[in-house]
Amino acid sequence: MVGGREFGARLRRLYLPLAVFVVLMLFPFYWMLITSIKPNRELYSQKIMPLVVYQPTLKHYIDLLWETNFLVWTYNTLLVALVTTLLSVLLGTMMAYPLARMRFPGAAVVAIGVAATYLVPQPLLFIPMSDLINRLELGNTLTAVMLTYPTLLIPFCAWLLMGYFKSVPRELEEAARIDGASRFQAMTRIVLPLCTPGLLSAGIFSFTLSQNEFLYALIFLAKSEVRTVPIGVVTELIRGDVFYWGQLMAGALLGSVPVAIIYSFFVEYYVAGLTAGSVKN
Amino acid sequence: MSSRREFLTASLAATGSALAPRWATAAPKSMTVVRESSFIKPFDDYFAKTLAAEYEKQTGIKIVYEATSVGGMLTRLTTIAETKSGPEIAMTGLNHAHLFDNSLVDVSDVAGGIGKQLGGWHENVLDVVVVNKKWKALPWGNIGQLEVYRTDWFKEVGVTKFPETWEDLLSAGRLLKKKGHPFGFELGHGFGDNHGWLYPLFWSYGGREVERDGKTVVIDSAETARAVDFCRKFYQETMLEDVLGWTDVNNNKAYFGEQISCTNNASSILVVGKKDFPDIAKVTDHALNPAGPKGRFHVLNAVSHALLVHAPDQAAAKAFLKWLYDDKQMSRWLTSADAYYAPFLHGYDNHPMWNAEPRYLPYKESLKTSRPHTWPGPQGPAASESVAKYVLVDMFAKACRGDSTKDVIATAAAQLKQIYKAK
Amino acid sequence: MAVRPATLARPAPVAGRPFTVRGLLEREGIFSWLMLSPGVLFLLAFVAYPFFYGMFLSLQDRRVASPGVFVGLANFVTLAHDAVFWQVTRNTFFYVAVTTVLKLVGGLGMALVMNQHFRGKNLARAFLLLPFIVPTALSTVAWMWILDPTFSVVNWLLVNGGVVKSGYSFLGNASLAMWSLVVVNTWRGMPFYGITLLAGLQTISPDLYEAAAIDGATTTQRFLYVTLPVIKPVLIIVTMFSVIFTFGDFQLIYALTHGGPANATHVFSTWSFDIGMSAGQLGMGAAVALAILPALAVLIVGLTLYLRRE
Repeated sequence: MVGGREFGARLRRLYLPLAVFVVLMLFPFYWMLITSIKPNRELYSQKIMPLVVYQPTLKHYIDLLWETNFLVWTYNTLLVALVTTLLSVLLGTMMAYPLARMRFPGAAVVAIGVAATYLVPQPLLFIPMSDLINRLELGNTLTAVMLTYPTLLIPFCAWLLMGYFKSVPRELEEAARIDGASRFQAMTRIVLPLCTPGLLSAGIFSFTLSQNEFLYALIFLAKSEVRTVPIGVVTELIRGDVFYWGQLMAGALLGSVPVAIIYSFFVEYYVAGLTAGSVKN
Repeated sequence: MSSRREFLTASLAATGSALAPRWATAAPKSMTVVRESSFIKPFDDYFAKTLAAEYEKQTGIKIVYEATSVGGMLTRLTTIAETKSGPEIAMTGLNHAHLFDNSLVDVSDVAGGIGKQLGGWHENVLDVVVVNKKWKALPWGNIGQLEVYRTDWFKEVGVTKFPETWEDLLSAGRLLKKKGHPFGFELGHGFGDNHGWLYPLFWSYGGREVERDGKTVVIDSAETARAVDFCRKFYQETMLEDVLGWTDVNNNKAYFGEQISCTNNASSILVVGKKDFPDIAKVTDHALNPAGPKGRFHVLNAVSHALLVHAPDQAAAKAFLKWLYDDKQMSRWLTSADAYYAPFLHGYDNHPMWNAEPRYLPYKESLKTSRPHTWPGPQGPAASESVAKYVLVDMFAKACRGDSTKDVIATAAAQLKQIYKAK
Repeated sequence: MAVRPATLARPAPVAGRPFTVRGLLEREGIFSWLMLSPGVLFLLAFVAYPFFYGMFLSLQDRRVASPGVFVGLANFVTLAHDAVFWQVTRNTFFYVAVTTVLKLVGGLGMALVMNQHFRGKNLARAFLLLPFIVPTALSTVAWMWILDPTFSVVNWLLVNGGVVKSGYSFLGNASLAMWSLVVVNTWRGMPFYGITLLAGLQTISPDLYEAAAIDGATTTQRFLYVTLPVIKPVLIIVTMFSVIFTFGDFQLIYALTHGGPANATHVFSTWSFDIGMSAGQLGMGAAVALAILPALAVLIVGLTLYLRRE
């Protein structure tokens, strides 16, 4: 193969489109970054080139970390995401397993019911939901969102895991049962370990959605100390009609970093998980 | 659903008081006040740290301050009212006292006392806090919307005193736009800075949406048509296109970016300017809205405290409010906000807080001519609906983007007829 | 993976004792329902109950803090006669349709690019996922600045590059505003399509491509006849999820335009929030929120039937 033609083709098919995508997807983050280190003077000036910073400053970050509850919000967000992920994956597994591998009366109804929960739009739910939360005296607690987020996550986890569970051959399970294993043991010792990528995948997806949620957090978490990052940043860095842009961008960037890091470790699993889940369905 | 809860609560309470009769008469250990974060942080801090501490020392009752985000108060209040639980005292704005009438305690006695001590209440605020002759909320101030403008640029085109009438403002705007300093008045779906000039413009030309009885829609009139035509001309000849999509934050941004020379806003621009953009703040000033053929108007935005019916000890809550609004406390508290809130009490008309920054005086001036949204129509659910649906704002916005005056008025009239006929 | 039955052997086989507790637990039906019940109960309490309550609300004239009056379908009738409702419907459908197509095409392109081997592949994948995984509330803030007509870097580039005389009003012009929202939503959602389609692409063995190439298929033909059929199920599933999410999209629109200018960008969720929350009309707000359902239901049923046929 001659290098030139090969390279030309690769350029067209890979490098150019890749560059385009990277620029398009990452440009707002670059923007966040430079805005967060621009002093206000430069921010509001129309005359200078907006793509670079002339006199970078860390003032916005300092203000963000020192004067707001940002670190508390970060802690809350991660805690909520972790708990809801565990809860959703657990309940999702428990629902997906019978639906994928067992025959029992009412299976169709449950399957349709679970799919139907996805169709329910959030704006419809939040008033009855807040009534429920308040009756359980959970207003302004992280428990409120820990209980409500899984409603968005469990159906997806269940769907994803069903694909995985279906792909495990029955013979393995049956062999174990013949040897005396209970159904529960067959599930936990045979099938689940084989589906670890799927579990990881469901976990990552849940984690992502959970720390992205906005509407319920906005309504249930009114006190600053219990807020999550998206709510805290958007509501407290805006006073009246004034946006503290520098701090907002700093908060936005810092809020994105933990997730991005986690993702860089788990991207392979995420991709692999969606493979088995969706194609085999 | 609520009756079950009430039954449960009632039976528990009965059992509780049977078992421990002494407990029913003890004062509450703490009370919660929920308000939207103030634009002036020291105001909130003064309440949460200074005033609350003083009250606790005096009475042993802890006052907890809960802040919601700006724009989040209504959602919070809805939840509180619907679930009959949560903070005892809540902030109400605009006409929320009417909307939540059923959930609010009659505080006429407290209001009467305050009025007597402090020279009486301004007439126009009664519209928004008095429902069926009962006071449902106690206003502590008005957040006014005024003209904010660049004195240096106006001077450049020969205007040294802010124009008195809309037509004069139009002339000034033409000159300024030619010099590259257009106007920027909000016409989008924000909340404060659009209504802040559109209602006054509308009223100053004699326009009305609904009559006082709330049954007759009178927006389709020659006065309205004149207002709409003027607005279109004003927009086309003095402003940038973007204002059609502006929400409340955009004019602040544009002003500090030196993109516009004049807008309608609360005092947030000057407050931020003094802190972060001192050069621009030096050449910024406030002025009353221009007058039209039928007078000069401003929009009323009274912020008040209201007492929720589910409060376990209403007497204690009322006592707190009485204490809070007493001149000894209120005077200090309002001063901590640098005259951001214009109080509705005649006793404060010449309060020293106005001396700190003479550029805030127009906010005090504007109180006299301030009217609530949808005035002179009755405040209530229909008014809230028409405001939430941006009936008036969209009428003007559509005209500015090119729709015919006849069409936009007809659409608005149809919308209002549907809204107000629904009770 | 080798299973070693010996380690799982228990002394007494279960089959012979169907009526002990353990025997009962082994029955397919009981086991299944035991496994299902926590999840089902949870969803019943936190989704089904609020949902039916919401439906009940939509049949009432219910102002905030007031008792409700049953009015049957009156709310829906009012909506049917409200021109704004139909505009909101058009807006929502336009928004969903256009963003879905763009995300699909873009996502497919992304997937095709990422399916190739190059150094830093994993890093690139992680980067390209960022718009989707970062909280929307935060990235929307960045976009507010990017779309501001004076400060927008896009306008700056266009004006200084001599392409246009003056900047565009991205959020002030009615049609531009909708397209701006489409762009932001597409930006945010494309990685979801990309990464899911990538997963699908990776199941296609390279042998299939080689075989097709040997048979003389062009790149396009290979794509149409090898790639597309295999990823079609994935495509449909991911589209379905995305459509559902997009129909309920709230935060992005609320923050950027709040439905303006003049209702040009109001969608069901934002309008329902305004009516329910700002106007205190809980019944009507619920009715608007419910209006999403028929469209969604039709879509889902259609997709399911289509999948069944395959």
